[in-house]
Amino acid sequence: MAGPPNKRQKRDDKQEGQMPQKKFYRQRAHANPFSDHDLTYPETPEAMNWGDHYPSYVATVPAAVPKDDPVATEDGNDYGVPRMTKQVEVADIGCGFGGLLFALAPKMPETLILGLEIRTSVTEFVQEKAKALRVQHSPESVPGGYQNVSCIRANTMKFLPNFFAKAQLSKIFLCFPDPHFKARKHKARIVSTTLNSEYAFVVRPGGRVYTITDVEDLHRWMVEHFEAHPSFERVEGEELEGDEVLKVMTTETEEGKKVERNGGTKYVAVFTRLEDPPWP
Amino acid sequence: MQHPFQCIASVRLPGEATSYDYLVTACGPRLTVVDVAMGEIASRWSTERAASTTSNGDDDEQSERPKKKQKTSTAAPRASNIIKLIVSPDQTHIVTVTDDKLIRVFGVKTGGLLDELSQRCMPKRPCAIQILPDNATIICGDKFGDVYSLPLLPSDSPVVTEQASAGAAESEVSKKEKEAAFKPSATNLTVHTKRNRKALEAQMAQKDFTNKKEPLKFEHKLLLGHVSMLTDVLYATREVERKHRGYIITADRDEHVRISRGPPQSHIIEGYCMGHTHFVSKLCLIPGTDMLVSGGGDDDLYVWDWPTGKLRRKYEIFGAMLGLPYVGDTVMNDGSTQQAATVGDMSDHKVAVSGLCTAPFTNAKGQQETALLVTCERVPALFVIPVNRLQLVKKYEITQIDLDYPPLDITCIGDIVVISLDGRKDGQYRLTANKLVQPNADDKGHVMLKPDEDTEARLKCLVGSAEGVRADDKELDELFYSVANLRKRGGWVTPGEDVAAEDDPVDAEADPNGTEIVEMEDDATVRKA
Repeated sequence: MAGPPNKRQKRDDKQEGQMPQKKFYRQRAHANPFSDHDLTYPETPEAMNWGDHYPSYVATVPAAVPKDDPVATEDGNDYGVPRMTKQVEVADIGCGFGGLLFALAPKMPETLILGLEIRTSVTEFVQEKAKALRVQHSPESVPGGYQNVSCIRANTMKFLPNFFAKAQLSKIFLCFPDPHFKARKHKARIVSTTLNSEYAFVVRPGGRVYTITDVEDLHRWMVEHFEAHPSFERVEGEELEGDEVLKVMTTETEEGKKVERNGGTKYVAVFTRLEDPPWP
Repeated sequence: MQHPFQCIASVRLPGEATSYDYLVTACGPRLTVVDVAMGEIASRWSTERAASTTSNGDDDEQSERPKKKQKTSTAAPRASNIIKLIVSPDQTHIVTVTDDKLIRVFGVKTGGLLDELSQRCMPKRPCAIQILPDNATIICGDKFGDVYSLPLLPSDSPVVTEQASAGAAESEVSKKEKEAAFKPSATNLTVHTKRNRKALEAQMAQKDFTNKKEPLKFEHKLLLGHVSMLTDVLYATREVERKHRGYIITADRDEHVRISRGPPQSHIIEGYCMGHTHFVSKLCLIPGTDMLVSGGGDDDLYVWDWPTGKLRRKYEIFGAMLGLPYVGDTVMNDGSTQQAATVGDMSDHKVAVSGLCTAPFTNAKGQQETALLVTCERVPALFVIPVNRLQLVKKYEITQIDLDYPPLDITCIGDIVVISLDGRKDGQYRLTANKLVQPNADDKGHVMLKPDEDTEARLKCLVGSAEGVRADDKELDELFYSVANLRKRGGWVTPGEDVAAEDDPVDAEADPNGTEIVEMEDDATVRKA
């Protein structure tokens, strides 16, 4: 079996600015979300260094201000991370090889988009691809110049609140999640009664959650669970027309393209995050 | 060998002239209630009665036939230990949780007599339980990550599981699953590899499927859940615009402290207290303030202003723990004492907060104040921090009081602090009763423990009450000292060692590490090539 050492070698052999090749980054599709994967995550969203991911959006001090001016030198918050001009607003949970991210980025040049993926090599692939695309395309040729998209390795089932503050996101994508067919594995599904509360926490009222899958059972499961959660309401028909991102999600993910090739059906569901009711 | 008291609680029954204080103790599977004023045992109860099974059939056979060596069933199944013991706010009921997932409710009658009212089996072992101020509901969190609410007194009518906001989908979905005959969710289109397609065909051919999951037979509601293992659950209230608001505060192994709205809106997360870098094992609310103290595997205790989720300050525990003996887990070959090793020597021995509670103390001026008591697993000491020190941002004062053995549980009878100790050898005393006093008005941080001989004399009636309770060093260690296991071992989680493994739905068959790189066939490209 051609083991990892060869693959790693070939990954590193790549030139700067060249697109990475998927075949060197493949990894087993199913990861156990319950185990402690030696992940790194900030202890609180304010401690996260987003500057590493979105260097163009770091708040800089204007050149004219002298360095010893107390206001000017304060370039970080209590955690010593740079302040950003924008916050991440769109999250692709389980972004895989980044198909949706890179298709969406030019369409929303003013918004920061983040992909979250639990598998190490796949995350690396997306990060490499983002770097390559940034080199190849300037903000003049492509809106945003792919500066507004990035990817981190994270276990969103456990650590979503570590990355995002309350009501920070305007959109969440759940594309072709692992169906976890067996009944005893249902707790590992990315959508569940209890986990929906966390999604409701990070998505702002009026924001949307988009789901797509080719497994009808999972689609029904996700619809039932989101509809049963009082903080969400399904968006259908008219209200969906004109939603640009919906079209992108349906056609641009790697998995979506595979489903089309195999002649499968795609089931889409969109939910809006409602306002919290007043206290009883 | 004597079995120490793993849990203790105090009950104060209102009486005509005075109130009657009782100390309820849990020793292995036994509950013993002591009338503190009289210094006598008021009542006893044990799970052993429920567990013992005598095979009457055997006796009959033996009398008829000549004595044969019959293979009788081995010793009765081990009686389940009581792992949690709580008292209702109105002091009329106590609730126990045993390690076989049973929640039992007892009524406490005059004279300290216990009346077993009900017994309910939870789906997973509860790790934290509390009775709400309405004295009618119990909330309990389990190792799976779920928080349930149950009525304190279950109605006699059979199951009508109420649909809660969060739980509605669960029961509906499981009903549908039962009704429809089994149909694999995967289809030819969703399954892409050759091997999986074969497996799918085999599944389609299979006829008989039983739905193993049985719904709970008593009234209950799933209020909220974490994906991680829960370690503590608290109910808190605040008054906002002259209205009471209830909150549920939950702590988990993945360093989260979550603040959710209380029932009926417990699906709404109000916020998180983020900042811990290691597991959180205990939560404690400081009465009369908006402070929440949390502790676990971090070197410090974290003091939060919980309504806003902001960290007020950290309070170091590790430094206070250094230099203290640490009662280790090795038993010598001759079965004698546990080894004691200094905390500083062994890099393994980090902070594992096992207890956080508040207790009253008398300050030098004779006034009543509150102090926070902290205990760390296996460390034979008590750490006392007056609340007025906690409230400050900079001052650090902590009193460390040595105890003879590691403390297991603490409760207060009025202003007397009773501590249960891990004294396992016969003759070692397992309970101490003390009063907390501040000797010196100038030294506000220093609080002393003054033994209250009167109460200790009255508690002497418990000596010997553990007779017959099996106590074995290894079992006792497992029962008392599980907090340190919550620490993550970065990366690999061996199925056997992981505490969550037994409840973990995703078992060893799934790749535990999840980062194994395997040659994957991409049927779209490789095959064609």
